[in-house]
Amino acid sequence: MKKKLLSVLLATTMVASLAGCGGDTGSSETAPATEAPATEAADSGADEAADTSDAEPEKTDETADASSDKTTLTWAIWDKESTPYWTAMADAYMEANPNVTIDMVDLGSSDYMTVLATELSGDGSDFDVVTIKDVPGYATLVQKNAIVALDDKISADGVDLSLYNGATDQVTVDGKLYELPFRNDFWVLYYNKDIFDKAGVEYPSNDMTWEEYDKLARSVTDTTFGSQVYGSHYHTWRSTVGLIGCLDGKHSIIDGEYSFMKPYYEMVLNQEKDGVCRSYSDLKTEELHYSAAFSSGDTAMMNMGSWYISTLISNLASGEYDSSLCGNWGIVKYPHADGVEAGSTLGTITGLSVTSATDIPDQAWDFVRWASGKEGAEVMASTGNFPAIMTDEVVNTIKSLDGFPQDENSIEALNVSNLYLEVPYAENVSEINSVLDTYHSMIMGGEISVDDGISKMNEEIAPLVSK
Amino acid sequence: MAKITAQNIDTYQEKLDSVIKQIGTETDEKQKKKYIREMERLRKDIAFYRSGKRFSRETKRNMVAYSFIAPNFIGFAVFTLVPMVFAFLLAFMKWDGSNPIAWAAFDNFKKLGSDTFFKAALKNTIIYCIGTVPLTMVFSLALAVVLNQKVFGRGIFRTLSFFPYVASLVAVTAVWKMLFHPSKGPINNILYTVFHIPQSSLPKWFSGGLVLLSMILFSVWKYMGYYMVIYLAGLQGIPGELYEAASLDGATTWQRFRYVTWPQLSATTFFVVVMLTINCFKVYDIAIMLAGGGSGELTLNATVLVYYIYQQAFVNWDLGYSSAVSMVLFVLVLAVTLIQFRGQKKLAD
Amino acid sequence: MKSMHKKQVLSKIIVYVILLIIAALMIIPFLWMLSASIKSDAEVFKMNPFQWIPDVPKVSNYTDIWTRIPFSKFVQNTVFLTIVVTILQLVTSSFAAYAFSKLQFKYKNILFIAYITTIAMPWQVYMVPQFILMRKMGLNDKLLAIICLQAFSAFGVFMMKQFYEGIPDELCEAARIDGLSEYRIYSRIMLPLSKPALSTLTIFTFVATWNDYLGPLIYLRSEQKKTIQLGLKMFIGQYSSDYGLIMAGSVLSLIPVIVVFMILQRYFVEGVAATGLKG
Repeated sequence: MKKKLLSVLLATTMVASLAGCGGDTGSSETAPATEAPATEAADSGADEAADTSDAEPEKTDETADASSDKTTLTWAIWDKESTPYWTAMADAYMEANPNVTIDMVDLGSSDYMTVLATELSGDGSDFDVVTIKDVPGYATLVQKNAIVALDDKISADGVDLSLYNGATDQVTVDGKLYELPFRNDFWVLYYNKDIFDKAGVEYPSNDMTWEEYDKLARSVTDTTFGSQVYGSHYHTWRSTVGLIGCLDGKHSIIDGEYSFMKPYYEMVLNQEKDGVCRSYSDLKTEELHYSAAFSSGDTAMMNMGSWYISTLISNLASGEYDSSLCGNWGIVKYPHADGVEAGSTLGTITGLSVTSATDIPDQAWDFVRWASGKEGAEVMASTGNFPAIMTDEVVNTIKSLDGFPQDENSIEALNVSNLYLEVPYAENVSEINSVLDTYHSMIMGGEISVDDGISKMNEEIAPLVSK
Repeated sequence: MAKITAQNIDTYQEKLDSVIKQIGTETDEKQKKKYIREMERLRKDIAFYRSGKRFSRETKRNMVAYSFIAPNFIGFAVFTLVPMVFAFLLAFMKWDGSNPIAWAAFDNFKKLGSDTFFKAALKNTIIYCIGTVPLTMVFSLALAVVLNQKVFGRGIFRTLSFFPYVASLVAVTAVWKMLFHPSKGPINNILYTVFHIPQSSLPKWFSGGLVLLSMILFSVWKYMGYYMVIYLAGLQGIPGELYEAASLDGATTWQRFRYVTWPQLSATTFFVVVMLTINCFKVYDIAIMLAGGGSGELTLNATVLVYYIYQQAFVNWDLGYSSAVSMVLFVLVLAVTLIQFRGQKKLAD
Repeated sequence: MKSMHKKQVLSKIIVYVILLIIAALMIIPFLWMLSASIKSDAEVFKMNPFQWIPDVPKVSNYTDIWTRIPFSKFVQNTVFLTIVVTILQLVTSSFAAYAFSKLQFKYKNILFIAYITTIAMPWQVYMVPQFILMRKMGLNDKLLAIICLQAFSAFGVFMMKQFYEGIPDELCEAARIDGLSEYRIYSRIMLPLSKPALSTLTIFTFVATWNDYLGPLIYLRSEQKKTIQLGLKMFIGQYSSDYGLIMAGSVLSLIPVIVVFMILQRYFVEGVAATGLKG
């Protein structure tokens, strides 16, 4: 009897709960068709008719609110535990604005932009401010109308875009800007001084051509089994090899013509063949992280973004990295092509956007403006990261960080003369990116020759660019 | 006239009987016709009552049955049937999940023909199926036949061969990647030290043309035990007399297998092959974990249909196109199942 | 006669040799996993001499994994999901299967065909619309999404129905004459008989839910909601060269499934046979 009762009970609760679900479905089924145009209209309205009309009542609302209760901003971020600046930024902003609480939602770094796009699809998202990790993801969100154009607010508040050294121009979509960068990383060359000392070879310099770099890498390489030393290391990302060609300022990945990548693919593949760097297929199989490669003490040089500086400093300090293996490190400027000025490097920006779903757009904008402005920049620099606005003070803060190498070259390496975004905005940049990624893997894995791979890239991307 | 109820049904029945009796005895034609009309009315009423009662009993029976089905069916309908119908429709639409849906007619399908990545994914998926289905079938059948005999430690062997199936994919792929590591793994180490294959030509198991082979081998290893159990169950259903008769006729081991076991197992084989085919077309995680590497993107040599569906949907947000690729997958599975169904029927006749 | 005997011995030997080879192939990866899980990174790939158990076993791998990633959270999520899904699956599908096999009702065939068709349809075909629907229902990044996804599979209903077909109808008829309600017949007569089938379904559901990767990957985005499989994969991405730790995590993830399998396996072949899964 008990059993029967139990099963009947279970069944009825199930039916009840599912009936609830079922009821939902009916409306949701029709929702995409009926609701979407409405949001669309509202969006474009907000975009064009300027937010002023829209914002006026909101503002009065808020001032009224401010006295009584707190506003909560929901902010999408990644890796809260291992990335100190999220909390630092939020705390600093909350201190300056006691009526605001910032609620950070950690979406993880591995598929951050995919997850974010999923979260922001359709309606019902809780996010007010979202962090933009890369340009392809930015393009997706812009096309999905998930984030709003900031131009009106920028001009209303008089934000000086020239402080961003042209980075914002490269992410402008049809004359509109949907994000403001708060962080700007650039690529440098990390090296392990101990390895150079042991080999009796001079350290890399701030003014090297790629040929000189190649020679240097070979001179410190040791292929003896069991005590290998790799002269160089290239992470599996496309940026580490294919993008080197963009440094002359004449080429970019949205060109549709990629023969400029050829010499660098050949350089790296030859290094791999001679045991100068780890083999790409090994890296793929092991899923070796670049930090593991550099911190294991058998990598002489590694090209990587400036974000790795703070990781190195903090992990050496905490003892997670063995300082006898990689404690004696330094950085130099990225090598350059013949006839190009030293100090040209690749950059990648991290931005903040206001979602179109937010019901407190002014408060959200205020945070974006603050974080990407001078105040935010100071907070970023204090955590050892590079803010989008680079000033002398910022460079000073970083070079005086405890654990930053104190040789002249490393300090000088922080000065960048030309910065090219890894991925500038283009309409089909997400698709272009995945085509390039695929052929990068195939070229590096030896599945296709460099020439064939590049001509395939050209072939596949041509229709995407002309569109 | 009063309504017929369960209490007065008998009086109605009696009334009808007496009316029928009266019809038999009545001589006056006019009066007789009147009785016949009365009889018909009564019959109709009674029949209506009876049918009404039967109908309500049937309804009750249906309600009981539906109450059994409902808990599962509602969940099933909401989360499986509805999305499935939606998937069919979406293949003819253009939608990015946020902006309004637009009708695209056959555009999505037209695009398939010129899509290098789709073609590569289709080719790889088919090769993977062609490799995996027969190999898994043969190995699991052989293992089942052996384990169906009285051998020492049969239970242990059965359990062991089921291990790979229950083990999580993430864990076992991690082990495989270590065992088959191109430069440090023990497999290549043996090839190098025992078979003296030069270091430069040691196989790179997870890239280039070899990656599909690795996927096939892995899949056979992982799922063999599962299909072995199904075959084992099939073998236990074969009557022992058949083997005795065959032995009396002096059949060899092979002949017994060929003329008794194999035909007796045809239904099992059909089931195994259909399930295998469906599961092979669904391959995704094996590819991602063996060939994906850190960032998880697959090259043209390793891409499979489901990966492409995922990529189109969740990275490029072209949901219509993604559904169109799904439809190709569905048609493939359907076609293969139908062909096998035909073959099985022919075999049975 | 003697040659016959010799032949038999020979064939026995061949059978055992084959069995041992297969058993070795099946088990070596697991032994390697166990062995690597107590090694340091340097020892994992050391081949000459190869040691199954290192001189100084590094047991700390097993303790480290709980602190390096929120492993206990992942375990908690996975255990919760697996148990709820398995129970729901067993209850609802045996319930529905009883109606399909022992009761007469309107639209029975149409409903059953609806179930059968979906078995042949790969989940991936409708995963995108399903995802959109779930998101509309607010189930995105909720454990409930995985429950809804896994708990109502057509396969379970099909399997249980096949099993109940094998139980003679007279049993139910007799009970009906005795005045038992259908619910009682189900709980008093059918359920106790279906142990082998339920065990088999438990193994299938448990294994499928515990080891599912794509479902949680799509639905469970935030770290607090992740399952062991996702966590393990994430861990491999972050600590790629900590082989010992990865293997320790893998070993831990295997234990529950293997325990469940060991407990239920004696019903297993019987269950598969009785459910007519063999075709």
